[in-house]
Order: sequence, then C-alpha cells, then structure tokens
Amino acid sequence: MNRRRFLESSAAAATLALVDCTSGPRLNVYNWSDYVAPDTVANFEHETGLRVRYGTYESNQEMLAQVLSGNSGWDVIFPSADFLGPMRDLGLLAPIQHSLLTNLNSLDPVFRAPPWDPELQWSVPYMYGATGILYQKQLMPAPQSWADLWNAKLAGKITMLDDATEVFGACLKKLGYSLNSADTAELRAAAQEARKQKPLLRAYLNAEVRDQAVAGDVAAAQAWAVTAAQAIAAAPDRLAFAYPREGFVRFADNIAILRESRRIEAAHRWIDYLLRPAVAAAIVETTHTATCNGTAYSLLPESIRKDPVLYPPADVLNRGEWLLPQSTGSQRLRDRLWTEMKSA
Amino acid sequence: MTPANRLRALFLTPAAAVMLATLGVPLAIVATYSFLSRGAYGGVEIPWTQENYTRLLDPLYGGIFLRSAWISLLATVGCLVLAFPLALFIARSGARKNLYLALVILPFWTSFLIRLYAWMFLLRDTGLINTALEALGVIHAPLPMLYNEGAVLLGLIYGYLPFAVLPLYATLERQDPALLDAAADLGATPVHALFRITIPLSMPGIWAAAILVFVPCVGTYIVSDLLGGSKTVLIGNLVQNQFTSSRDWPFGAAASLVLIGAAIGMLLLMRKSREELL
Amino acid sequence: MKRALPLYALGAYLFLHLPLAILAIFSVNASRFTIWEGFSLKWYRAMFADRDLLESAANSLLIAVAATILATIIGTLAAYALWKKASPWLAGSLYLSLVTPEIVTGISLLAFFQWIFRYLHLRLGMHTVILAHVSFSIAYVVLVVIARLRSFDPALEEAALDLGETEFGAFYRVTLPYLAPAIAAAAMLAFTVSIDDYVITSLVAGVDSRTLPMVIYAMARRGVNPVLNAVSTVVVAGLGALILISERLRRTA
Repeated sequence: MNRRRFLESSAAAATLALVDCTSGPRLNVYNWSDYVAPDTVANFEHETGLRVRYGTYESNQEMLAQVLSGNSGWDVIFPSADFLGPMRDLGLLAPIQHSLLTNLNSLDPVFRAPPWDPELQWSVPYMYGATGILYQKQLMPAPQSWADLWNAKLAGKITMLDDATEVFGACLKKLGYSLNSADTAELRAAAQEARKQKPLLRAYLNAEVRDQAVAGDVAAAQAWAVTAAQAIAAAPDRLAFAYPREGFVRFADNIAILRESRRIEAAHRWIDYLLRPAVAAAIVETTHTATCNGTAYSLLPESIRKDPVLYPPADVLNRGEWLLPQSTGSQRLRDRLWTEMKSA
Repeated sequence: MTPANRLRALFLTPAAAVMLATLGVPLAIVATYSFLSRGAYGGVEIPWTQENYTRLLDPLYGGIFLRSAWISLLATVGCLVLAFPLALFIARSGARKNLYLALVILPFWTSFLIRLYAWMFLLRDTGLINTALEALGVIHAPLPMLYNEGAVLLGLIYGYLPFAVLPLYATLERQDPALLDAAADLGATPVHALFRITIPLSMPGIWAAAILVFVPCVGTYIVSDLLGGSKTVLIGNLVQNQFTSSRDWPFGAAASLVLIGAAIGMLLLMRKSREELL
Repeated sequence: MKRALPLYALGAYLFLHLPLAILAIFSVNASRFTIWEGFSLKWYRAMFADRDLLESAANSLLIAVAATILATIIGTLAAYALWKKASPWLAGSLYLSLVTPEIVTGISLLAFFQWIFRYLHLRLGMHTVILAHVSFSIAYVVLVVIARLRSFDPALEEAALDLGETEFGAFYRVTLPYLAPAIAAAAMLAFTVSIDDYVITSLVAGVDSRTLPMVIYAMARRGVNPVLNAVSTVVVAGLGALILISERLRRTA
C-alpha cells in the first residue's frame, strides 16, 4: 500500500466511523476482547442488515459493574460460568429461547448440558479455557506442577496472576484441596502457601506477562492458556506451556442476554450467528481460542485442533476443575486473606 | 437585594447547583450505603449496621492506610523538590513562559497508562536502560529496577509533577524581581536569596502543591499495580476491590468516607494553602 | 545558579518527555513486541481501521469540548462571585471535589445515577459523562481564574460603574477581558483533566459513550499493543502542533 492509498483509506475509515455514531438503534454487544474475528461484526451486519455496537471488557467485574443497574443499554454479554448464577439471581438475565436458535446442536455434547446451566436456560457456552504454567524451555527440569513455582532457584523470575481466585486456586491444588473450597482451615493453609511464595515472585501479572515472557524477563508464570498460546506463537522455540499435575482452574465464557434488552430477537440472531460452525471456526482461526462448538472444532485445520495448549487431550482436561460461585462468607474470607497476603 | 448581590447570586447558582447534584447528593448516598449490609451478589441491603466502620479498626487496614500515606508523602516531597527549580526556571524565562509551561503539560495529554507502559519498557530487565548499561559494560547482570517501591515512587513523581509545577509557578511568577535585586545590593549570594527570600515567599504555593500531589497519590492504585507488580495493597486498591471483585459496597463506602475525612482533616490543618488556592 | 537552572530544566523536560519519545519510536516498529524489527506504518493503518478506537476518540473529543466549555463558564462565574464575597459552602464543596479520590467520586456518581434513573427511566450515556466531567473540572477552573482575580484592582470596576455601566456591564466589559488569559489557561486545564480521565468515566459511561481512555485501558490490559503507541503519538503530535501554532499567533498578535 502506498502512502496515498493509505491516507485515502484512513480518511474513508474515519468518515465511516463518524457516520456510524449517528445512525439508528443498534444491537449492543459487550464481549471480552479478542473474542471475535476482525470481520465477524461486519459480516453479521452485512448479512442481517442489523447494526451492531460492539464493546469489549477485560474482567467479569468490569462487565458486572456496568450492567448491575439494569439500565446499561447492553443487550448481549459473555459472563463466565461462575458469574451466571449470581446474575440470574439478581434478575439481570433474560431466558434463552431455543426455538430461535437453529445452530444449538453444533455445540460439543459436554457444553449442551454444562453443570452450571444444564438446560441452557440462561446461557449458551461460547469459549472455554484453563490456567497453567508458561515457562522458558531452557529451564531444567521443566515445571510440571504448581509446586515448581515455589522453587527458590527461580526467585525474582516467577509471576502469578493478579487474581485471588487463581492464586488461591493454585495454592489449594498444591495442597491437594478443591479450588472451590469454602473451608476456613483449607483457605488459611492456602493463603499461607501464597505468603511463602510471595518473596520469590517478580510480580502479579495478568495479560502483561505475555510481552515479558517473550522478551525473556520471566522464567515461569501462572498464565491463562489463551495468553500462553499467543506468547508461544511469538517465540515457539523458547516458550512452552504445562497443565499442572495437581489440577487447575477451568472456566467457560457463555453468551447471555440481559433482561433489560429491548432487542431480544436481534440478540438471538446474533447468538445463532456466532453458533454457526463456519463463523465459529473463523473466529477461532484468528483469535486462537478454545471454542465450545464441536462442529466448528472439526472444521479447524489440524495445526489448531492438535494444539496441546488450546485443545489438550481429554485426560489432561479432566484434571481441571470448573470454577463455582462462592458464598458471601467464603468470598469475604478469601478477600480478607488476599488483602493480608498482599500487605504482608 | 442590591444589583451587585443579585449578580453575585446569579453567578454562584450554576456552580452551587452542579456541586450539590454531583457531589453533595452522591456523597450522601455513599454515606448511607456505609451503614447498610452487603447484598449477596453486590449492592446493599438492610439491616443497618456500623460493622463496616468497626471492621476498619482492624490493624490490617490501619497498616494499609499508613503505607499509602507514607508512599504519598515520599512522592510529595520528591515532586516538590523536583518541581521547584523547574517552576523557578519557567517563571524567570520571560516571553517563553507559556511555551515552557505548555511543554510541562503536553505529556499529560496522552493516557497515563500508556506512559506507565513506556516506563515499564525503560525499567525492565530487558529494557532500554539495562540493555544500554550492559552494552556499555557498566553492569553485567540487569539491575532490578521494575516491580519495587522505587519504581512506584518514580511513577508517582512522574505522574503528579505538573500538579506541583503549576501552583509553584503561579506564586513564583507573582514575586517582585526587585526583591532579589535589593538582596543582591545588600550583599546576599543568589543561594542565600533563594533560601531567605524566594522560598519563604513561596510557602503558600508550596502548601498548595503539596496538597494537590498528596491527595490524589493517596487514592491511586494504578501506579503501584503496574510499576510495583501488584505486590502491595494501597488504600486505592482496597476501595476499588470492594466495589469490583469483592462486591462489598458498604465496606468500600465506609473506607471511602474515612479517606475523604482524612483529606478534609488535612485541609483544615493546612489553612495556609486554602488562602492561596481559593 | 544562572547556568544551573536552565541545565536542570533541560533534564526535567527530558524526564517528562522521554516516555513519549519511546512511544513514538515503537509506533513505527514492525514488531508487535518491544524488539526493534524495522520501520513500518502498519500500526497507524491498524489504528485508522479500528472502528472502536475512532468512535471512542470522537466521543472523547466531544465530551472534553462540551465539558470544558460548560465548566469554564460555570467556573469563571463562580470564581467572580467568590472573589466579590467569600462563600464558605461553595468554596468548601469545591475543595471537597478536589480532594475526593477519583474512585470515590466515580462510585458515588454511579450510585447517584442508578438511584435517580430508577425513577426517571434514563440511561447512562453522553450526558452522564459530560455532567461528571463538568463536576470535577469546575474546581480547577475556579482555582486558576480566582488567582488572576486577586491581582485585579476592584477600583477599575467601580470606575466603570461610575461611568454608568450596570453591574453586569462592568463585569462583561472590564473584568472579563482582564481575565481572558486565565480563562484560556483554565480551559486548557479542564480539557487536560477531562480528556485523560479513566476511573470516573468508566463508571458513569453508557453504551454510546465509551471514551478513548476506556478503549486504551481495555487494549493495554491485554499487554503492550503498538496501536496504542501510534494513538499516543498522534495525540501528542497534534496537540503539540496546536500549542506551537497558538504560541506563534499570540506573539504575532
């Protein structure tokens, strides 16, 4: 592209964006970042004639804070499984009308009756993921368990996620407990582990760890599989990922419709579009995520289907444990232990 | 009512209305929340309680308040020391004053977060400073510059320096240069004149700068998360966590009110700066 | 000391602008990571192709301009009134708005909007963001304008009154022109705090009012993104040019 064409196309894009702001009512979709392909929204608009306003968020809390009022203006959201129950109980969600979804059968059998919403009354599973260890291949021996992140030899070169559920989850698993534990003694023991580990840590990092692992500042990190896959794609000869032996966090993000929505039918059309195998496969190919759509999975090229980070074999995945919502008491204890650990 | 009073009342009304609607009423709502109980998934519920305040008496939270105050104090002193000569330079640079002042503000029109990322790149093990020092042979292993208290302090000073420069510049610019000439005529060295005349005359501006830097520093959490690697909890983290991840609004509200109370208390102690500011 | 001061200032400006230089360099780097791989404009192309980014930039500009105009008018009037006669209540609440930590301001505004919207059937949107920005900018405007008023001789106004001007006429034709530079500075400050605000805005923004800092924060939390370097470079270069031009105009005027 020469400079003139570049200027022309950018001017056109700028005009387009300005015109967009002023057009009529739209379907408002609030999703995690990097969860659709660059052309997904445009293709949907082109096909249906509906307009979409697409916003992104980075955490469930951020999304919940926006929609809690019941007058946020969003129509479709993508909460994680452990947030669905609370959101339903708060009366924030609208029921899913299966009669409006033609592609529901393309879901993987596991996700047609998931433990958090067995009849898919309130949600449609979208993507899933897990937490493990991203590490430099030169490390000998390669870390294979959470306990390896307590290795004093790696002091100053380890990072953990900046998330109480994830850090305590790893500690609980290291001790052989359930990561959804609400038991006071177990949680206290886990917090003790976290406190022991803290002096060895470089930092608590979430997605930022990707860049630092690629640059070589970090030797081993607790990381989400999706983040790890992106880092490994940038430095395949240096980085690798392990699903820890003791078990790990599994999570699933689901599509849901807000009760406040006045465009329920359009929302279902969007969901049905995302469920269409060819569309779902195209999304996975550009974003490198793990789809809940079984038919879409079978359409993927072998290099992605066999990717041991994104789509590990069943026996590995079975070591994982789904995150469940916490009771008020347990949430408060976890928060307090987290604050204590961070202040120590 | 005299015409003058009528005009004054007219001019005062819009500001008073905005402040009442966007500050008075909202803070009253937060104050109410702070005496309610946590809803199961966020929000607030009856019964009324003072538990949120008694929880704050816990030494854990006291420690967090103290740590935040301490690091903010260090950042404030750092900002004042660095900003004073710069403000002096701008105040004494004649026709180019506005340009130099604008150059102080210019970096602040890019997102603070992006500038912090730039600092992260400068400071980290494989970053610019370490790479350059290693290439020059000054060091052989990277200096750990990122993810410690020093990095947090640097970020705070960088982030709030203009808040110190502006009020200092405002007082320095108003000082009569004849005073310094007189001092010089009486045999005072420039350094002597600085400490005996310029700085004492700038005290109101110094106090104003101190407050404008200290208060936002106490409430911030982004700097310590990014440059400190989230390894400590500051009062800003505590408040923010209550409204997001822990979804304990009443406790967050109570902590907020204590924080505001502390800020007001400080203002009352430092009457001098009030006279300078408003 | 005569030579030490400019030398020091040079160092201070380097400190303030160094991160910006880094951003500008990496905005034309071909690599997505912070490793130099050669010159490329692809991040600028990506920036202009990103609808979310452009829309939010337009929102940010609209909000900042609207909030700056409103806050400057309201703040200037208030400063004048406060100069005429102190009002402990208004001065106190302006202080309060200045010293309230952002997160608290944001949460309390959100709670307020949610509470009244239950009765009014309104939604968060442009209007709530602009109102919030006006609210936290007023104190800054008052601060700057009142500083200038202190060096204003009230006798000038009295003279105008003696010559038959009304109270408003004296303010409009005598005081206001004197305040012009301070009002411009106040507007600049209000614009600065409005355009970079994230914490408060993210809490009170609705579907149609996502601002540039909100989009930037969302992008940045995924790790370093060179598109952001391109955005910041454009913003700084654009505003820097604006400053230089206005400085040139002011001098020739």
